[in-house]
Amino acid sequence: MAQSWKDHHNLFLVATGLLAWLVPGGGHFLLNERRRAAVIFVVVVLTFLVGLYVGSIGIIDPVGAKPWYAAQIMNSPMVYFLGRVSATGKYPVYGRPNEIGQIYTSTAGLLNLLCIVNAVYLAHLRKTEKTDD
Amino acid sequence: MAAFSGILLASFTTPMHIDTNPVSMLWLLPLVASIAVVYKATKVYKIVAFPFLRESAVLFWSILVFVVVVALFLYGLGWVVTDLLPNVLSGSAF
Repeated sequence: MAQSWKDHHNLFLVATGLLAWLVPGGGHFLLNERRRAAVIFVVVVLTFLVGLYVGSIGIIDPVGAKPWYAAQIMNSPMVYFLGRVSATGKYPVYGRPNEIGQIYTSTAGLLNLLCIVNAVYLAHLRKTEKTDD
Repeated sequence: MAAFSGILLASFTTPMHIDTNPVSMLWLLPLVASIAVVYKATKVYKIVAFPFLRESAVLFWSILVFVVVVALFLYGLGWVVTDLLPNVLSGSAF
């Protein structure tokens, strides 16, 4: 029985983490933290879109800028598809727009990573608090 | 509607023009605001509009002051290494 609970608990944690990665704020939404989810969604998506607007989709470069791409993909799996589009080389971007765009999109990704970890931690805390009661 | 969608998509496929000058440093401000708001959203017990905004503003200014202090320190260090030290060394026995 305990093993079964633990299995479900781990599954729930994985689902929370995955949802938080799929949609920024999704993990908190699953935990009924609607306001927190809305704030996270708006700010992370806005930061990412500003970065994309400044530097164009060319800043998502899975070939020439792998460390930046690793941070960018934490926004959402959608970034993978944008990366495939920009990998065609049709959207070259250089100089300051490239720097600012990469910094914005990567920071948005790292902020979302923080939110993913926070959502999983909250889910874990709630489950353990329930079993303590 | 199609024209609007076209313009919207096109704006994400062409980079903006940003000069390499000190004014471009102002792009730091919205990013710091994002960091402050998301960090506070993960830290506060409950999100209530006014206290949340106040805490985010405090963090925003804290980060900004820290960035300015570090920038001044690095500027001073750069001045010592590139201007002051060469002058001192050229006037010495070396």
